[in-house]
Formats: sequence, structure tokens, C-alpha cells
Amino acid sequence: MKKTADAIIIGAGIIGSATGYYLAKKKLRVLIIEKNFPCYGSTGRCIGGIRQQYSHPLSILVMKESVKIFSSLKEELGKDIEWYQGGYLFLAHSEDKMQTYLKAIEIQKQYGLLVRFISADDCAQIVNGLNTEDLLGGAYCPTDGQANPFATTYGFLEGIKKRKGTILTNTKVIKIFTEHYKVVSLLTDRGDEYFAPIIVNAAGPWAREVAKMVGLDVPIEPERHESLVTEACERLFDPMLVDYRQDGCYFIQNYGTGHFVGCYTPVPNVPGFDITASSEFITEMPRRMARLVPKLKGIKVIRQWAGSYEMTPDGNPIVDKTPVEGFYISAGMCGHGFMFGPALGKFLAELITTGTSPIPLDDFALNRQFAKAEAMK
Amino acid sequence: MSKPTVICRCEEITEKEIVAVIKQGYTSLDEIKRILRCGMGHCQGRSCLMLIARILSRMTGQPIEKIKFPTSRPPLKPVPIEVLAKYSSNPIRKTEQK
Repeated sequence: MKKTADAIIIGAGIIGSATGYYLAKKKLRVLIIEKNFPCYGSTGRCIGGIRQQYSHPLSILVMKESVKIFSSLKEELGKDIEWYQGGYLFLAHSEDKMQTYLKAIEIQKQYGLLVRFISADDCAQIVNGLNTEDLLGGAYCPTDGQANPFATTYGFLEGIKKRKGTILTNTKVIKIFTEHYKVVSLLTDRGDEYFAPIIVNAAGPWAREVAKMVGLDVPIEPERHESLVTEACERLFDPMLVDYRQDGCYFIQNYGTGHFVGCYTPVPNVPGFDITASSEFITEMPRRMARLVPKLKGIKVIRQWAGSYEMTPDGNPIVDKTPVEGFYISAGMCGHGFMFGPALGKFLAELITTGTSPIPLDDFALNRQFAKAEAMK
Repeated sequence: MSKPTVICRCEEITEKEIVAVIKQGYTSLDEIKRILRCGMGHCQGRSCLMLIARILSRMTGQPIEKIKFPTSRPPLKPVPIEVLAKYSSNPIRKTEQK
């Protein structure tokens, strides 16, 4: 018998899961094909921060929608995804950084975001034990937050299964068949062929490879980013702390468990698919954390790992239909996939089923110029 | 009712919870770890992963030697932030001086 679906999604990270969920809610029979297991790629390696503080209007709008979705996801999915609105605090240690934040705040306020620049003293009020040396202040948005990437992704996947969808794990797509620039079917490494009029590329770091199967080249390149987690300890502070100095870092205390989890952007960056954890990171990250919040010095690090940011030239995702009819792409999340995922999933499901997204996604178009770089990154 | 059997002591995960997740169709240690957090605590799975592998083997019939264990992550044993920080080579400072 011919194996069919209404829509096939390649990749079971947050992007594939959320997109699949909203398609399944629209009564489409969804099939997700995942080459490893759900969350194996970028989603399961991220630290779970959710923020609306961006400089790009479309990112702000997408994230306002995502925060709305995260706020009600427990009821929607019938599963606690550990959403907690503890805010994000971007620290300014230079006049330059302060100006970047102030400019971004002006844009964010136009879109109704509750955000303000606060003094160094106020930062120390919010963050118990913060080292305020060289600190000029910070951009603070109390409605930003955190959630559990695993719980969220598996929650969406369970929702798909409940709506007659299927998740195939340990299955790799090796070929996509098209006819007259229109998707027809795909072939897996298990030798099965699945037919569907819609195929969504949600393959994260591997999105370029998947796009090549229909003859498209998309500008997405993975970079290695590393993270660590500490033992659980008493509650110290709520927001994600972001230190954008060249040797800065960002970390957050998990609200439910009390673990601190964090990462930094390496300089220079580390392109490629290699996600081996480095000894440089596990010694340097603790130095940066202890510099920012000295009272963390006695807390123990229990685990380090690495993952991919899949980067586009301008630091914004690609969410679009493509010249191949029925082939959609939602990838190149540049480290923001988990937080963008729910809203982009909802918008892409609309785009696929009705032809238009409720918020125009032109600035995430595949054929854009990639000229307007995100300032808050 | 009998008392619950705790399998993962760090995260306090019981046998019942593990069995329920396997029944849902999650039949790899990597998935069970991500869903329940067992193996993510202080001991990094040294106490629980072998026990979970046995439950998994019993329920799914996979031979225990075929069950894939999650990647072991440094620092293997918990190490305080200040101790690790002492070994930092400050990679950025070096690039700045160039």
C-alpha cells in the first residue's frame, strides 16, 4: 500500500514539532521524520531562554506571540513545560553597548514591549550578588522567561500523536522526489517511500543538506556553541543574565530545579558540524560566571556539552515557501529556535494551509538580501 | 500499596515513572533521560542508568548489551566553579593582545 501523509516534516526539534502540532490541529495528517531522536539536534542542547528583546521588529512580534503561546502551553498541551517569567537582563559595560540597548528599547516600545533601561544599582537589586564593577546599567524585560526545551518539544509531539500523526525516529530522509518543481514523495534510509503534497524542512543544522535534495542552496551554516550546567542550589535570582562583552557569557537559574545553566559565544566563532565539548570552555565559562556573580564560586559544575547554532548571514531565520511547490523551509534559527519555535510553527501552519501568515514573514524570506543584521545577538 | 521504588536518586525518579514513559513508546536511554531528567543530576547517571537499562531490556526485549548509553560528559565528577576557573587560559585576552 502506498504510504501517504498530508504533510511530512523533516526534523523533530522544536521547529518540526511545533509546526507539526499546529498542522495537526488543522486536521492534517502529519508525519515527522527524525534521523536520531526528538531534541537530538539544537533544541535539546539549548539552555531554554525565551526573550522578546530584539532589535528587529519581526523578531519582536514573533517573540511576543511565542511568549503568549508559552504562557498557555501547559493548558494547551496538558503538560507542564516549566514556563517561568523571570525576565532577561542585558548588561551594559560600555557606552557603546548602552546605546545599542537604548536604540533597541525604542523599537521594542513601539511594539508594546514592557522593557526599560535600569541603573547598575537596580540591576544589583534584581540579581542577588551581581558584580557591578564597570556596569553602566541594563536592559530589563520582566516578561521574558524560560521553559524546558525537552518538555515543550515532547509535549508538541504527544499532541501530534493524539491527532493521528506519526513520529518516525532513527530514520533519515535520503532523497526527495519532485515533478515539475513540485514535491511528490521522499525516500528514507529504511527504504520506505512516503508521498505528501507538503514537505517541511525543519532539519536545523542539517537544513542545507536537506534543501539540496530538491536542488536548493540555502545559506545556513552551523557553528559550535557550548554550555554547562551546575548542581542545584538555593534560589539566587530570576532573570537570564546576558553579558555581551567580548569575554561575556549568559546564564540563568532554572526556576524549577535550581540548576544554573549557561553558555557563551566563542570569539572567533567555531564553524562546522563538530559538537565536541572543549576544555577551554569548561574552564573559561566558570571564570566568566564567577566574575559576574562572585558568590557562585563554590557551586559545582556537573556537566558540559555542545550544540549548533545554525547561522544565516544576517542572524535571522529563514521561514518561507520555496520555488519548489509544496517544499517549505523553517530553519537557520541562529540560536533562537527554541523561543521562536512555537510562534513560527503557528505562523508556518497558517502559511501552508491558507497561503498567508497572520504576521507577514517577509523579513525571514528565502530570497531576501540578508543585509539587516540583528543587533541584540 | 507498596512503597515507590526510587531508581534515579538525584532527580527522585521512580520505577513507575520510568515504566510509564517506556510504555508511551520512548525506548532509548537518551529519550528517557531527556523526558524524566534521570541521569542529569549530581551523579550523572552512574547510579541509575544501568538500572534503567535493565528495566528497558526487560520491557522491550532488547539485549542489555545492545542498549546505547548516553554520552558521558565532563567533568565526570562535580567540580566547583572557582577550581575550574583557575585553569582558564583566558582565550579572548590573548586574541585581544595580538
